[in-house]
Amino acid sequence: MLFYVLAHRTYARNLQYRGAHMIHNIASAFFGFIYTSIWTAIAADQPLGEYGSAGIVSYVAFNQCSLWVAAFLTNGLGIEQSVRTGGIALELMRPVHLFYQLMCKEWGQIAYQFVYKFIPIYALYAIVLPMYIPSSLMIWLSTAAALLLAGYISICVNYIIGAVALWTTESRWLYWVNHAFSMLLSGFLIPLEWLPEPLAFIARWSFYPFLHYIPTRIYLGISSPLSLLGSLAWAVLLTALCLGLTSLMRRKVEVQGG
Amino acid sequence: MKPMITVHQLSKSFRSPLPAPEGPFRGLRTLMSRQYTEKEAVRGVSFSILPGEFVGYIGPNGAGKSTTIKMLAGILHPSSGVVQIDGLNPHRDRRQVARRLGVLFGQRTQLWWDLPVRDSYDILAAMYGIGTERKDARMDELADLLQLGEFMDTPVRKLSLGQRMRADLAAALLHDPDVLFLDEPTIGLDVVAKRSIREYLHNINVELGKTVLLTTHDMDDIEQLCSRVIVINRGTLGFDGTIDELRRRIGLPTLIRVTYRQTPVWPPADFNTDHTSLRLAEVDGRMLTAECNREAISAMEALRLLEQYGDIEDVHMEEPHFEDVIHKLY
Amino acid sequence: MMSGLRMYGLLFRASIRSRMQYRFNFWFSSVMTAIISIVEFLMLAVILLKFGHINGWSLAEAGWLYSVLSLSRAIYRTVASDVHNIESYLVSGDLDGLLLRPIPVLTALMSRNVSIRFGEVFQGIAILTVSMSALMREGQIGWLSIPLTIFVIIAGALLLFSIGLLTASAGFWLTRITELQNITEDAARTAVQYPVSIYPRWLQGILVGIIPVGFANYMPGLFVLRGDTGWWMLPLTAGIAGALFALALFVWRFGISRYQSTGS
Repeated sequence: MLFYVLAHRTYARNLQYRGAHMIHNIASAFFGFIYTSIWTAIAADQPLGEYGSAGIVSYVAFNQCSLWVAAFLTNGLGIEQSVRTGGIALELMRPVHLFYQLMCKEWGQIAYQFVYKFIPIYALYAIVLPMYIPSSLMIWLSTAAALLLAGYISICVNYIIGAVALWTTESRWLYWVNHAFSMLLSGFLIPLEWLPEPLAFIARWSFYPFLHYIPTRIYLGISSPLSLLGSLAWAVLLTALCLGLTSLMRRKVEVQGG
Repeated sequence: MKPMITVHQLSKSFRSPLPAPEGPFRGLRTLMSRQYTEKEAVRGVSFSILPGEFVGYIGPNGAGKSTTIKMLAGILHPSSGVVQIDGLNPHRDRRQVARRLGVLFGQRTQLWWDLPVRDSYDILAAMYGIGTERKDARMDELADLLQLGEFMDTPVRKLSLGQRMRADLAAALLHDPDVLFLDEPTIGLDVVAKRSIREYLHNINVELGKTVLLTTHDMDDIEQLCSRVIVINRGTLGFDGTIDELRRRIGLPTLIRVTYRQTPVWPPADFNTDHTSLRLAEVDGRMLTAECNREAISAMEALRLLEQYGDIEDVHMEEPHFEDVIHKLY
Repeated sequence: MMSGLRMYGLLFRASIRSRMQYRFNFWFSSVMTAIISIVEFLMLAVILLKFGHINGWSLAEAGWLYSVLSLSRAIYRTVASDVHNIESYLVSGDLDGLLLRPIPVLTALMSRNVSIRFGEVFQGIAILTVSMSALMREGQIGWLSIPLTIFVIIAGALLLFSIGLLTASAGFWLTRITELQNITEDAARTAVQYPVSIYPRWLQGILVGIIPVGFANYMPGLFVLRGDTGWWMLPLTAGIAGALFALALFVWRFGISRYQSTGS
């Protein structure tokens, strides 16, 4: 089954670096720790709404973990590299749709990161921090669904970022700009209800909250699983965009000769 | 005459940690392993090169060639032995030796990729402390010698491989070094470009009197340019002498192909046991191929022997390919 | 030493000229980095706008801490560009090419692939200006704080450079140092972007005593912004930066000679 083959290959390719990745997890966990410290300092003398000081720590910690499933993906799904070497022409001509190919590969990447980054960091937080751990199976399942949808949305976004490489050599930067905006608008460091109005407005109308804010709130039992309808809607919209973009890409390659 | 390059009992061994047995955290355990394996890359190599010589330094991959070159250039410190370039010690006086050394890497450029060729020379001149007047004079000479005029203002990344090689050669010579190290200078070049680079290299050696050390896998380079060949194999010196000496040492036979007017009366079956310096290799219709050891028997004598078997219509002699000679040596 | 400086300047300018060949790339990346670093700061600003202060540090003070560090880092990465990328030189063998030149390897590395960090400089100056004028309006700091801030920024740049150089030197033993750099440079620096007092004691100890990035902004900030500690904080900051720099140079030279003995 093609999905499994492509995903598995990416997963296996990453395995050889797992030693280095585990060390990197220390740095990653530390970043989360910085953010929880910020909130602990604030919580010391200010009420924090429905989160409370324990809740906000779990909020930030879980966000840090979910970065590895919903944010740190392959830059542009590797399309820029493919454009540079000219391989993109070949890949577009294959019998399987480019989006499907790259999506499968990226799921392998996400799976690997889930096992070797999300889980170790989550485990570390569970031990070291006052981390909230849900007891209801329903919540675990909804969180899993939320994370899967978040990963999927991110795959689409990266596909679009990568596609831009056909029109400019600097598409690589969009990944970082997207990341910066995501940090701000996805509720990563600060829950969306506390964003000042102009930013909150932009965030509400974007897909960003479905990357971190919604999944984490579902995890904490604060948001209902019905919020996932929003994730679903964005997933559908972005998929349509990606498919449409692919025909543009194909036309560009045919005209330019790759 | 004092040698330009002296190498005496040069040795280099590398210590690497013994890889830890399979298991978790293998990489980390290897790093902390206390057990080492010693690998002798170069062992007791000695030679000296006089000023103005053009020497080929060859050997199979992994023989210790690049290790020796790195020690000569001061990039690597020897484990034991002496290295001297113009009386200076490369690893003690690295920067001073660098001023006397010009290096050309066939596979890499030392020029600034995005800038016009001219700019690279300006920068290098400043780096080697060459004043504007001297630099201009030198550039004129080199531009003349290597015909750089046509692309002085072109960015390096836009040059053809042949042009880039010439530009790199000029860069290596800019500071008027006494010694030139060439590493694969003709790699990737087409036949015409190869020939012209070889001509330039020959002129540089003959007209400018530079001492040249050439490492390459292209045996034609060696044959056409080098008066002397040093062969290193498995870390030790395998041969040090002229190309002719090398041929004689290996003793690959010359092939004589003789075509007779009519099908000859074939030599007796035990021809080969009677004669040691001439051996029949192949017989095909009117053509006979014999292997001849030129040390033991002259060409004329060989032909006279072969004439016994019929009137010779045509003779064709083939010296062994230098590549085959080297192949045998490796 | 003087001609060493001139050599550096020459190579530095050549590297910039190379960059300028790609004009669009140059400006685009500057704009992008400016946007990214401003958005990063906004994360903190948003929190402080909502909650007023963090551990007793106001938004303006936090802005000072943040931007001083940004500027120190921008200076460090501009002046010593490719030292941070030493791993790629070690892996590809390009370091050997640098050894063939009659200049110190460090000078060569510092002047290659120069990218003047306009984006970060712009962000740093913008936030610093806003923060300092707010603080001055409230009367918390006076005009003297301007030269003092410049002093702190330069000392901080030297401090960050020294840490970077020490980490890079580790490359001569370990070759692969990306993970180490993540810890000593990225993680440590991100930590001190926020007031160090928010962290538990043991972490504060590390950020001030072991990887002393705390001296790039927080410690001198205590004096410059609040008049805490005393005048001695400034020479102490400079002293630590200087000592670390001397140590880094020593280890670097030791590392190079080891590289020449073992060929890595």
